[in-house]
Amino acid sequence: MIESGSVAGIRLEKVTKRYRGGVVAVRDVDLTVEPGEFMVLVGPSGCGKSTLLRMIAGLEEVSSGQVLIGGRDVTDELPQQRDVAMVFQSYALYPRMTVKRNMAFGLRMRRTARVERERRVSEVAEILGLEHLLDRRPAALSGGQRQRVAMGRAIVREPQAFLMDEPLSNLDAKLRVTMRSQLSMLHQRLGTTTVYVTHDQVEAMTLGQRVAVLRDGVLQQCDTPQSLFHRPVNLFVAAFIGSPSMNFVRAVVSGGVVSFAGVRVSLPAGSPLAGADRAVILGIRPTGFSAQSGEGWPTLTIVPAIIEELGDERFVIFELDAPRVDTDETRAAVDAQSADDALLLPDERARFTVRLPSEVPVSAGEPLELAINPDRLYFFDPETGASL
Amino acid sequence: MKRRLRAWGPGLLLVSPSLLALGVFVYVFLGWNIRVSFTSWRGQKPVYDWVGARNYTELFGNERFQIDVRNLAVFTLVFIGGSLALGFCMALLLEKGVRGENFFRSVFLFPMAISFIATAIIWRWLLNNGSGSSTAGLNRLFANLGLEFLRSDWHKTPSTWAIAAIALPAGWALSGYVMALFLAGMRAVPEELREAARVDGATEPRVFWHVVRPLLLPVLMSAVVILAHISMKTFDLFYAIDQGNLRIDTPALYMWFTTFQPGFYARGATIATLLLFGIAVVIVPYIWYSIRSERRQ
Amino acid sequence: MSVTTDRVVVDEAVGAPARRRRPRWAPYLTTARYLALFLLACFFLMPVYALIITALKEPAQVSVVRMWELPTALSLENFRIVWPDLQEGFVNSTLLAIPASLISSMLGAANGFVLAKWRFPGADFAFPLILFGMFIPYQAILIPMYDTMQRAGLVGGLDGLILVHVIYGLPITTLIFRSYFASISDEVIEAAKVDGAGMLRTFLFVALPIAPPAFAVSMIWQFTSAWNDFLFGVLLASREYWPITVALNNIAGGQTVPFNQAMASALLASVPTLLVYVVLGRFFMRGLMAGALKG
Repeated sequence: MIESGSVAGIRLEKVTKRYRGGVVAVRDVDLTVEPGEFMVLVGPSGCGKSTLLRMIAGLEEVSSGQVLIGGRDVTDELPQQRDVAMVFQSYALYPRMTVKRNMAFGLRMRRTARVERERRVSEVAEILGLEHLLDRRPAALSGGQRQRVAMGRAIVREPQAFLMDEPLSNLDAKLRVTMRSQLSMLHQRLGTTTVYVTHDQVEAMTLGQRVAVLRDGVLQQCDTPQSLFHRPVNLFVAAFIGSPSMNFVRAVVSGGVVSFAGVRVSLPAGSPLAGADRAVILGIRPTGFSAQSGEGWPTLTIVPAIIEELGDERFVIFELDAPRVDTDETRAAVDAQSADDALLLPDERARFTVRLPSEVPVSAGEPLELAINPDRLYFFDPETGASL
Repeated sequence: MKRRLRAWGPGLLLVSPSLLALGVFVYVFLGWNIRVSFTSWRGQKPVYDWVGARNYTELFGNERFQIDVRNLAVFTLVFIGGSLALGFCMALLLEKGVRGENFFRSVFLFPMAISFIATAIIWRWLLNNGSGSSTAGLNRLFANLGLEFLRSDWHKTPSTWAIAAIALPAGWALSGYVMALFLAGMRAVPEELREAARVDGATEPRVFWHVVRPLLLPVLMSAVVILAHISMKTFDLFYAIDQGNLRIDTPALYMWFTTFQPGFYARGATIATLLLFGIAVVIVPYIWYSIRSERRQ
Repeated sequence: MSVTTDRVVVDEAVGAPARRRRPRWAPYLTTARYLALFLLACFFLMPVYALIITALKEPAQVSVVRMWELPTALSLENFRIVWPDLQEGFVNSTLLAIPASLISSMLGAANGFVLAKWRFPGADFAFPLILFGMFIPYQAILIPMYDTMQRAGLVGGLDGLILVHVIYGLPITTLIFRSYFASISDEVIEAAKVDGAGMLRTFLFVALPIAPPAFAVSMIWQFTSAWNDFLFGVLLASREYWPITVALNNIAGGQTVPFNQAMASALLASVPTLLVYVVLGRFFMRGLMAGALKG
C-alpha cells in the first residue's frame, strides 16, 4: 500500500513576491496547511495563486518571508532539494519517455533502488488504472490518461506534499467532474498534504477541506467551504464564492429595518446592525428568495426579464428599481467567472438572479411575487467592502 | 543570492567555454583587427605602432578601392534585386500548391548545397565571351535557340556593369533560399484570415495585397539583410570565377590580395574594418529587431 | 482541385458576390503557371545539364563550343583523370567536416538548452552577441586569427581548421538548438526540477532525447558549410591538408585546365553535399530557415 513517507504541514510566513519593475504578485501571505490537509487556493486570474504555489515548489524565488515544509525552512532551497511533487496544468509529461519511465523519473533522480522503483510504479499504476498504458508514450494517450499519469508521477514519489496547478482545467467538462471526485477519494486514501490551485470556485468548494481566497496577491479569507459561503469576510469573497453570484444592492439600515428599492425588511433579532443607522451594501444569495411567502417574510414583486431553464430548477433574472452595485470587488469577482450576465442588460439598474424550483410557474414579463428570507441577508460596508 | 547562484550557476558554467571561445574569436579578434587598421604593419613581421586614420584616408583615395566599392554597389543592387524578384516569383508560383511541388522546390534550392567554388567553376564556362566560331557557354545556347540578341561579354565586358554578370551565378545559388523564405512566410498566413477576406468579397489578388502582403514584410526584410551581408562578404565566388579580373574586384577580394600577397596587413585590416561596419549597419538592427519581436510573442 | 470546388459551393451558399466565381481564363492561368515553373526549372538545371553531359563525354569529344550537345558515347574517363588529384582533398574535407559538425552541434545543443531553458542573468544580452558572430565578415578576423593560430602552432594541419570551424559554427548551432528547445514547454522543465533533476540531468534526460531533429538540422548545416568553405581552408591548411574546395580551385580554377576535367572535378566535389541535400532535404530546409533567424 502506498502511503506518504511523512505527513508534513506547510507554513507560509509573510511570503511576498515582488517582480523586477516593482509589480507585487503576492503580498505578505500567512498561511498554514495542516499535515494531511487538502488546501485549495482560489481566486480570479492574476490573483497570485499560481505564484504562491510555485514558491512552495521552489520554482519561483521568494522575495521576502519564509516557506516551511514539515517544519523545515526551505525558502532558499531549489525545487530539486524540496520533497514535494507537482502536477501541472499541461501535465508536463516527458515526451520521449514511456508512462513507466515518466512515473519513475523522480525516483530515479533521487536514486531510489530499481526494485523499489518498479514496485511503487506498478502499485500506483494499479490504483490509477494505468497498468495497460505503462509502455506507451505520452503522445499516444488521451487527455484524461495523461492527467492520470501526471497524478501517478506525483504519487509514486511519496512526497511530503502534492502541489497541483489547475490539474483539471485542460479536461472537458464531464471528465473534469469525474476526476474531481476521484481526486477526493485519492486524497482520503493517501492522506498526503495537498495544495491545489484553481480559478474555479465550484472546484474549490467541492475539493477543499479549507479554501484560501486570494485577490491581487493578498489573502482574503481562508476557511472551510461552508464558512466561506455563509460567513464571507468581505464583498469580494461574497461575490466570488457561490454560483450564480450573490446579488447586491445599496440599502439603508435604520431602526432595525433595512430598506432598498422600496422594500423594507426587518432585521432578524440579535443582528449586530439592529441599532445601526447607516448605508450598507446588501447581499442576497439567489437561494435567499422563495416563491411562497412564509413565516411573515417580506415580499417583493418583480418582473422576470430573462429565464434560464436548468431542468429541475430555473434562474430568474430581473431588474430592481435601485442603482447597480459596481465596485472593484464585485467586478473583480465577476470577471473571474464567465462574465455571463454583464452585457445583456446594459442598464444602470441592479440586476438580481433568483433560483426557483421548476414547479413555480414563471414567464418573462409576468409579474411575480417573491419572499425574502431575512436570515439570509449579508451586509457590507460600502466604503471598505468588509462584512458587517 | 546563494540560491540564485545555485539555480543558474550550472547553466552559466556549461556555456562558458563557448562564450569564451566566441568572445576571443569574434570580439577580441574584431577589436584586434581594428587596432591593426591603425598601424603601419606591412610585411611578415607584425608592427603595432599608431598612425592614426592614415590607412583610412589613403584607402579612400585609392583608385582600386573606389572601383571595388562601386563594383560592390552594382553587384549588391543587381544580385539582391534579381534574387528577390526571382525568389518571390517562384514562391508565388508554388504557393497555391502545384503538382510536383517538391520536385520544383528541390530544383530551385539545390544550388544552395553546392560550394561557391564549384558554382564558380561551372559558371565560368557558361559565362564564356568567345565569339564567332568559338562562341561557347550561354552565348552558344542563345545562338542554338535563335536568341543571339541575348549574347553578352558577361564579366569580361569593359562596362561598369561587368560585375553584374556575377549576380547570375550568385542568384542561381541563392534565389532558391529567397523562395524558401517567402514560401514559408506565405504559408504561415492563417487560412482563416484569407477565408475571412474571401467571405468579405475580396478577389484573390486583393486577398494577397491586403492580407498576405503585410505579413510578408518581415520576410522581405530578412531576405534583403541576408543577401546584403552575403554580397558584402563573399570572396570565393569571385575568386574562382575570374581571379585577378579587376572588373569583378570587390573590397572582400582586395582585402585578401593586399594582405596575404604583398603583405599590406594594415591596409587589409582597414578594408576588413570597413566591411565589418558595412555589415554591422544592416545586421545589428536586424538582430535587434528579431530579438525584440521574439520577446513580444 | 476538390478544395476549390468545395470553396465555391460554400461561397454560393453564403451568397458570395458573383465575381468570386472562377474567371473564364483560369485554365490558361494554370497552364501559364506550369509553363513558368518549367522554364525556371530549366534555368536552374541548365548548368547541371552542362556539367553532367560534359563530365560524361569522352575527353576527345569535348569541346567548349559543343558543350550543349549530348555525348555520342558515355565515358567515365574524365572522373578517372581528375580523381587522383581530388582524392586527398576529399579525405581531408571528410576528416574536417565530420568532427567539426559533430563538436559544434554538441556545444550548440548545450548552449541552446541553457539559453532557452536554464537562463542566467545576462542570457538575453549574451544571445545577440553570439548571433552576431554568425554574420561577421570573416575578413575582419582573418589577420588576428591567422596570427593567433600561427603562434599556437595550429596552422597547416586539420586540427586548427577544425577548431576554427567549430568556433565559427557555434552561433548557428546555438541558434538552431535554442529555437528548438524554446518549443519545449517550461512546465516540462519545471516538472524535471521538482522531480529532483539538476541542470545537467534535465538537459541529458529530458531535453536531449527530444532533440534529434535539431541535431539533424545542425549537423547538416555545419557539414555543408565546412565542406563548402574555402576561405579558412586556403588560409590555414598546407598543401597536403587542403580541403576539397581548395584542391578543386587549384585543379579546375586555372585557365589552362581542360573544360571536361573542370566539370568532372566540380561534380565530384559536390557529390557529398548534394547527397545530403537529396536524402535529408527536409532538415536542410529547416537549417536555412534558422539561418534567417526565423527558428
